[in-house]
Amino acid sequence: MERYILPEIPDYHKLEVYEQHGGYAALKKALGMKPEEVTDEVKKSNLRGRGGACFPTGLKWTFMPKQTTKPKYLCVNGDESEPGTFKDRQIFEFNPHLLIEGTAIACCAMGITTAYIYIRGEYGKWIKMLQKALDDAYVKGYVGENILGSGFSTNIYLHKGAGAYICGEESALMNSIEGQRGYPRVRPPFPAQNGVWGCPTTINNVETISNVPLIINRGWEWYSKIGSPKHPGPILVGVSGHVNKPGVYEVATGELLTDLIYRYAGGIPGDTKIKALIPGGSSTMILRGDALEGVRMDAESLKAAGSSVGTAGMIVMDENTDLIRVITRIAKFYYHESCGQCTPCREGTGWLWKILKRFETGDGQTSDIDLLMDIANNIEGNTICALGDAAAWPVQSMIRRFRDEFEKRVSKTPNGSPEPSDRNRHAEKTATVSL
Amino acid sequence: MAKITIDGNQFEADNKRTIIEAARENGITIPHFCWHPKLSVSGNCRMCLVEVEKLPKLVIACSTQVAEGMIVHTNNERVENAREAVMEFLLINHPLDCPICDEAGECKLQSYSYKYDQGYSRFQEDKVHKPKRVELGPRVIFDAERCILCSRCIRFCAEVAGVPQLQFVQRGDHTLIETFPGESLDNPYSMNVVDICPVGALTSRDFRFKSRVWEMSFTESICQGCARGCNIEIGARNNEILRLTPRQNDEVNSYWMCDHGRLDTFKFVNAETRIKAPMIRKDGALIEVGWDEAIAKVASELKSFKKAEIAAVGSAFATNEDNYVFQRFAREILGTKNVDFMRHVVEGDEDNILIRADKTPNSTGAKELGIAPGEGGMGFAEILHGIKEGKIKALYALEDDLAATPEVAEAIAKLEFFAVHASNENATTHSADVVLASSTYAEKNGTVTNFRHRVQRVRPAVTTLEQDRALDGFEMSRWDKFAAQNDTWGKGPRRDARASWKIVSSLATLMGAKFRYNSADEIFNEIAQKVEAFKGLSYLKIGKKGAQLKAKASVAA
Amino acid sequence: MLTEENLKKVDELRKRYPKSQAALLPVLWIAQEQEGWISEDMMRHIGTMLNLPFGHVLGVVTFYTMYNSAPKGKYHIEICTNVSCMLRGSDKILEAVEHRCGAKPGQTSADGKWSVSEVECMGACGGAPMLAIGEEYYENLTPDKTERLLESLK
Repeated sequence: MERYILPEIPDYHKLEVYEQHGGYAALKKALGMKPEEVTDEVKKSNLRGRGGACFPTGLKWTFMPKQTTKPKYLCVNGDESEPGTFKDRQIFEFNPHLLIEGTAIACCAMGITTAYIYIRGEYGKWIKMLQKALDDAYVKGYVGENILGSGFSTNIYLHKGAGAYICGEESALMNSIEGQRGYPRVRPPFPAQNGVWGCPTTINNVETISNVPLIINRGWEWYSKIGSPKHPGPILVGVSGHVNKPGVYEVATGELLTDLIYRYAGGIPGDTKIKALIPGGSSTMILRGDALEGVRMDAESLKAAGSSVGTAGMIVMDENTDLIRVITRIAKFYYHESCGQCTPCREGTGWLWKILKRFETGDGQTSDIDLLMDIANNIEGNTICALGDAAAWPVQSMIRRFRDEFEKRVSKTPNGSPEPSDRNRHAEKTATVSL
Repeated sequence: MAKITIDGNQFEADNKRTIIEAARENGITIPHFCWHPKLSVSGNCRMCLVEVEKLPKLVIACSTQVAEGMIVHTNNERVENAREAVMEFLLINHPLDCPICDEAGECKLQSYSYKYDQGYSRFQEDKVHKPKRVELGPRVIFDAERCILCSRCIRFCAEVAGVPQLQFVQRGDHTLIETFPGESLDNPYSMNVVDICPVGALTSRDFRFKSRVWEMSFTESICQGCARGCNIEIGARNNEILRLTPRQNDEVNSYWMCDHGRLDTFKFVNAETRIKAPMIRKDGALIEVGWDEAIAKVASELKSFKKAEIAAVGSAFATNEDNYVFQRFAREILGTKNVDFMRHVVEGDEDNILIRADKTPNSTGAKELGIAPGEGGMGFAEILHGIKEGKIKALYALEDDLAATPEVAEAIAKLEFFAVHASNENATTHSADVVLASSTYAEKNGTVTNFRHRVQRVRPAVTTLEQDRALDGFEMSRWDKFAAQNDTWGKGPRRDARASWKIVSSLATLMGAKFRYNSADEIFNEIAQKVEAFKGLSYLKIGKKGAQLKAKASVAA
Repeated sequence: MLTEENLKKVDELRKRYPKSQAALLPVLWIAQEQEGWISEDMMRHIGTMLNLPFGHVLGVVTFYTMYNSAPKGKYHIEICTNVSCMLRGSDKILEAVEHRCGAKPGQTSADGKWSVSEVECMGACGGAPMLAIGEEYYENLTPDKTERLLESLK
């Protein structure tokens, strides 16, 4: 497939090169359209968010109030911190102007005069790259006052995160922009009514926004025919783990997972079998390696397979992988990144990790497997934001699809390790806590 | 208005209400920790998860607004399972130290545990350990391990006290509440966080480890710290007041009270300085005597002066009933027009929250009930002047430490006769000829009128010698009710003190009048008949939350 | 406290937000770039500057893992051990770093040269295993490469 988001053109990150290849034509076009025509174009294209939830982008834009006395804001989410996800970084480095152009078009469509691109703090180097591109765009009048003489003005600012996965959650991201702790907000109210500083706000992922100029340039009909009809467009797929050529690959949605692994990423080192695959970043449900045939990288196909697209960050695990170690590490991540605001996530993520750590050292109990499932179920759906679900899904799917891996790690001694160093852990099991 | 159904019952609710509010208005309590009616919604504890039909997930009742046709289930299996899950999560890292926790007995975590906990722990891992016994401020101690991070205290400081002294630091299950280094939780309302803390994380330094709450009685009363008249509960055990806590009254103090009111307005009741019986000065020293002798002494002394030589000083610390009877006595028996009371206004010591510059609970009441000079009579300043000039020779005063002010002390020293009602030894009793042992506000029935002309009830919480907890209708703790004679409690000190109205009535009777009052409510009924502003009122109508006086209802703050 | 030059940057930053409190994260970054860490005095300084309670500043500094509440060594080595890196041998990289630096995760070497942190996913899964020193990412590492890298840092 032709590459649109990450085209193979040398020095494409430079403004003059970007312009030579038709860059900022979409912005010019959009400035000549009515804002609702721009939104309509995006809506008809069926572009769906690339940040994990696959929400229809055009529809999201229509939630913004047209009549309001308050300023409106766009937040572009480049917090990209989900393990297995490293796609937005490629955009910052290789096609920053596409992102800037898309941001300006989105502002134009929604009547927004200020946009913030939120980028994780670890990407300091890439923030500088994007800032350079942004400065150039300002000089050329693509951003700022009276863009290209159209009378429309919008400012774009970069906002640097500081080490908190949770800030990729849209409402935590807004709090972080406001200079607060990255606590997710209780919804409703939703951002389109009550976002940053209580004003109407739209939050879109970096890759999502980078698709917008393509749609405006070549029309929704063209775009909607790329890849899967219900989830069309080019998509950046990160492939990592046990593959010969890990990296980010731009494909059309609907690409077979097996093609991504074998054709693009060069297959598995030593030609071993795939034991398991996380298809879309660590929060998506893990799939068995023997259940990948025919599964495609799009929302519908992955849903049918019992997982989701997420951020399209595939983590491939070969047949020698210790999956208990994998799930323990994932659980540790969510424990570390839980903001601590609401009870089930704050307490449950740590509990999951602590039990899994015992399995890792061969000190689990058979009953602990059901307990893990119970804890995950008790977190899921009961929290302020989706981090709770993100912590629960990997554990649930790992137990459902690889229960034997847990059973293999159950302690050989019936009541667990007899060493006194294990304190009264097991003795306490039957003790009642009376309050 | 929206028609909603909660647990099968239909209600009408304001569209702006959340489910938890609408339920509460209709007598249904949805379990919660972080939600508080007077604080912003934080939605973090997840205890109030309920099922709303047609919504895929459970929703939190504290932030979900009601809508037409909404069908809510607060107690079905799904909801109870979620509640049990939240309880389990809250308890895994909790120290479970109820036996040594001050909050026990009034702890939400503990009471919900009885209802929504499986009764055993599935948690076999190491608990997270956090700081304990942290002095968050001069009056509040913090145990981070008990804390469930509901943020009520943080929101209280920022939203009610107006000083954001507390905040979360760190994150995840290592989150803590902290003050910035070098700062402290020292705002004048800091102790309210102890009340609203739903667990034992924040405790009162003053009350810590003093008593299990179920051993105490709780009596509804009014704070004596200033003219606001915050509604309070007096917590007592062994006939001793151990703590005051605010009692909700949206017309007066919401759910709050200031730290000064909470800590500095009850300790005199238990103090060593209490006057234990009436006293007469003999050979320069005050000697305890019987009531008959003390009253006879005052009567004979007062009779020996001309009317114009006597002044009567009421008190903004005494009840309406005391002041009413006192001014009747001054006018009808003593025949003096020199009637007034001393003001205790500390200019500038006030705020826009609760604290008033007038540091007395009843100056409005004293004025309204006639503690004011008659035509041609002397006011308080003139009385002092009159004493210095030798025009006033005898002074009869109600409960107030007049001589604490040097200028007043100077005048009092010149008197030929000075009788005062007092509960504690002070500069004034030291210069009195007769001290009549009066009950404190915590030992008698009565009313006080706040600066907004709201009449509110005080009730006895501890007994004097003449009172009996059970027979006189006091609030009773379990100990009070079930103690046997040989048990040690219930034997706290009791003083031979009397309500001022009673002392004045005895004096009046001895001096030939018929002041036949048997109880404070009889006096109040007379006030309600004779004083226009009080027309139609009764103790019953005042009830728990007070009553606005008619004539002055519109007087602004 | 912040240098004149940095104070000017702060003034520019404030203009990006409708409320200057929002400049807190970027201002903390400026402070950390200047001092290497954020002291209590710096928090007071910034709180006063942005009209924020000092406690709010503390709450933010301790929420975000990249703000240092204590000084770090000359080189702050952050090794990702999350899944993709783990699958490709981050253990060995961490070992090599610990060995070469004489410090375990969370520690600073006795000579103050190295601070070592085990970190969550850095968004370099395609180049796993990796580590970062400051803003520079070092990807596709082997223990040997790691040794040589650390050797080259003076």
